[in-house]
Amino acid sequence: MPDKEPLPAEEIRIGVYTCQCGGNISDVVGCARVVKAAGELGNVVVSRTNLSLCSDAGQALIEADIKEKGVNRVVIGACAPSLHEQTFRGTVARAGLNPYFYNHVGIREQASWVHHDNPDGATAKAIRLMAAGVAKARLLEPLEPIRLKAQKHALVIGGGVAGLRAALDIARRGIKVTLIEKSPFLGGHMAQLEQVFPTGDGARDLLKALIQRVVSHANITLYTQAELVGVQGVVGDFTVQICQQSRGISDDRVTAVNVVAPANLPDEFNYGLTTRSVLYQPYPGCYPATPAIDWAHYEDGCLELNGEPLHLQNKPKTFDLAVGAVVVATGFRPYEPPIGEYGYGVLPEVITLPAFIRLLALAGEDERLEFNGRAVKNIAFVHCVGSRQLDGLNEPQPDGQVNDYCSRVCCTATLQATNELHQRYPAINVFDVYEDIRTYGRGHELYYNLASENRVRFLRFHDDELPEVLAAPAGEEHPALVWVTDYLTWGQSLELPVDLVVLAVGMMPNPVDDIIKLLKINAGSDRFLAEVHPKLRPVETAVPGVLLAGTAQGPMNIQESCAAASAAAAKVAVLLGQGYVELEPFVAIVNPALCDGSGECIKECCYEDAISMQPVMVNGTEKVTAVVCAANCAGCGVCVGACPNRAIDLQGWTLKQYEAMVDALAAEDLFALELA
Amino acid sequence: MAVETVKCDFKILILATISGGYAGADSVGQLHTDYPANVYVLPVVCPAMFPEDFYLRTFERGIDAILVMYSGTDCPYKGGAERTAVIINHVYPLMETRGIDTRRLRLAAICTVCTKPFLNEVIQMNHVLQEIGPVRQKRNVPVPV
Repeated sequence: MPDKEPLPAEEIRIGVYTCQCGGNISDVVGCARVVKAAGELGNVVVSRTNLSLCSDAGQALIEADIKEKGVNRVVIGACAPSLHEQTFRGTVARAGLNPYFYNHVGIREQASWVHHDNPDGATAKAIRLMAAGVAKARLLEPLEPIRLKAQKHALVIGGGVAGLRAALDIARRGIKVTLIEKSPFLGGHMAQLEQVFPTGDGARDLLKALIQRVVSHANITLYTQAELVGVQGVVGDFTVQICQQSRGISDDRVTAVNVVAPANLPDEFNYGLTTRSVLYQPYPGCYPATPAIDWAHYEDGCLELNGEPLHLQNKPKTFDLAVGAVVVATGFRPYEPPIGEYGYGVLPEVITLPAFIRLLALAGEDERLEFNGRAVKNIAFVHCVGSRQLDGLNEPQPDGQVNDYCSRVCCTATLQATNELHQRYPAINVFDVYEDIRTYGRGHELYYNLASENRVRFLRFHDDELPEVLAAPAGEEHPALVWVTDYLTWGQSLELPVDLVVLAVGMMPNPVDDIIKLLKINAGSDRFLAEVHPKLRPVETAVPGVLLAGTAQGPMNIQESCAAASAAAAKVAVLLGQGYVELEPFVAIVNPALCDGSGECIKECCYEDAISMQPVMVNGTEKVTAVVCAANCAGCGVCVGACPNRAIDLQGWTLKQYEAMVDALAAEDLFALELA
Repeated sequence: MAVETVKCDFKILILATISGGYAGADSVGQLHTDYPANVYVLPVVCPAMFPEDFYLRTFERGIDAILVMYSGTDCPYKGGAERTAVIINHVYPLMETRGIDTRRLRLAAICTVCTKPFLNEVIQMNHVLQEIGPVRQKRNVPVPV
């Protein structure tokens, strides 16, 4: 390593900018006080506040100060760095500064949003945090991002409509895709639908066409019964471990297999309305067509081949893949009401909307709709079951939280079901019991209008007077009663005798705690996977290279799921399309003059070939010191803590910078500024 | 929603991993959950980078408590969590020899969604500081509430 010529010291001119975040910060933090205090800190030549620094006008303000006032270090107090750190690095770079002459200070999530009732305390804290940011800024060094080769290969987790759409869109851009699906068959919940709104297309037809394009695409490799079990690496170069269960029986033998065990397992595809065998297909025409073994219920001897018992074993295989990006499309599950909610699990005549959709599908061309052997004449739909719940009123989920969100798709799905019901069985009386109806999408309101024309009786309840579902007295014509206080008729209490109650249940995310842990991504308080920013980065997670698609992120209809999936695919294409990714330059760096060659750093470093001992020239003399290989360095800083001489440090996060920040946080003379 | 607040002028420094505790602190903010304003969170890649003397120096500068919110078993860096624990264990006896109450330093695993554990750590440390007082006698300067 050659000696470096010291660069001429330049005057440090710091610009400090306090974002009001449209009131998100300034409603609590006294931004004018922060500006004044920051303006009195050493090296600060500009201190401003702005309504929204991330806006074009806000960024232009910073650029102008760099160009016109000679600002050469920038400190911004704003939202979390995960949201806009990159934005402002770009701002600084556009103005001609090294992008790492920028320091981001989070004063929204960590000041204004957590000290609502203590504006003085929040302001004092913001001043100290900004002072710490300035202290670090004085010690910033110019850095260059590290460019690494990227795997032109993406992993898509989930074989529902979002995963299929994402996989196809990525593959079409010339990037290889591995699609893994946990269940034995593709299609997810879309395969359980008959018609989809707002077009009225057959769900299976749409799905079949999409699956056909996916499985025939040369860039896509598909694994069913496969799960993610391990992840290492970083964006552009993840190593993922996949575990795939055995299918059970190969295509050439499956037709000769005889199932001895009775077909008495509840068929989850039909929500238990039918039963199935241990060797099963969910529906004719599914993909893959080969039936799968339900290993959870498989017992030796339950299958025969040519009259002889088959002895099968599930032998999972695990393998590694190198991928540059991961799309999480793990989907949703319908809300399962607790026993007793609107009579669910107590009265057999109470079922969920997804089950009712399967009931209609199974009824086929029947002239009348039957349930439990009884002709359905009156039917009631109840909205918002498992959605828009209230603390104290609804039973919480195991995490203690109720589902306070709107599931969005259930209103139109319910109205579509009532319209289909009327079209096929016009004699059935339909009651639609709701608190609010939200047909928000293009063309969705037509379903409401059509339901009105179809003489659906709408009854509106208030959230403090929920309807009740009870068993009818013995001998009554209809087995269930729905009691509702209807505010469309000014609070009349009505009793609806019905043969079937359909609960329009909401969406909940599939339980994917294992994937959350493996990928180190976030879930929101509603348990759906969280994006970095709902408006600006709506399909990105906080982990670079990990993207979200579809209902894993929140309630969406098919149209929205596909839009999100295509957006995630576009992000993957941009990320991996160039064949390289740029990583932060935050790797270890050695000061050869301080290194005594003891090798303590190498002893603690867990990364192969990240640090080695090599001869270098120091002040004209050769000595053996630690040398960092940036490509192999993970940037963890373990070596920094191990060095007795402080000869090794972490670029961008140096010990001196931390000490300067601590000094600023502890400084007593800042009290005067806080109180000013 | 607000958690229990305490009126105090102690300073608590949190060294929080970008992949864990810092994101967890941001999650607390996104939930708009209040906690005492005497808490300053600095993002760190992995706290294993801090040698023992960094902690001692920080106390000497007047920071009353340090919460190291690392990523525990979720640490994305090989050996980072283990090395952090080793260093913290080295710091405790050094604190004792300098007369610094060892309760002022805590290591806690906080993940990106560990909002309740984050708040618990903050509240507990404030309670400890109420009991043991500041790390050193401070100046007679009015303190903002």
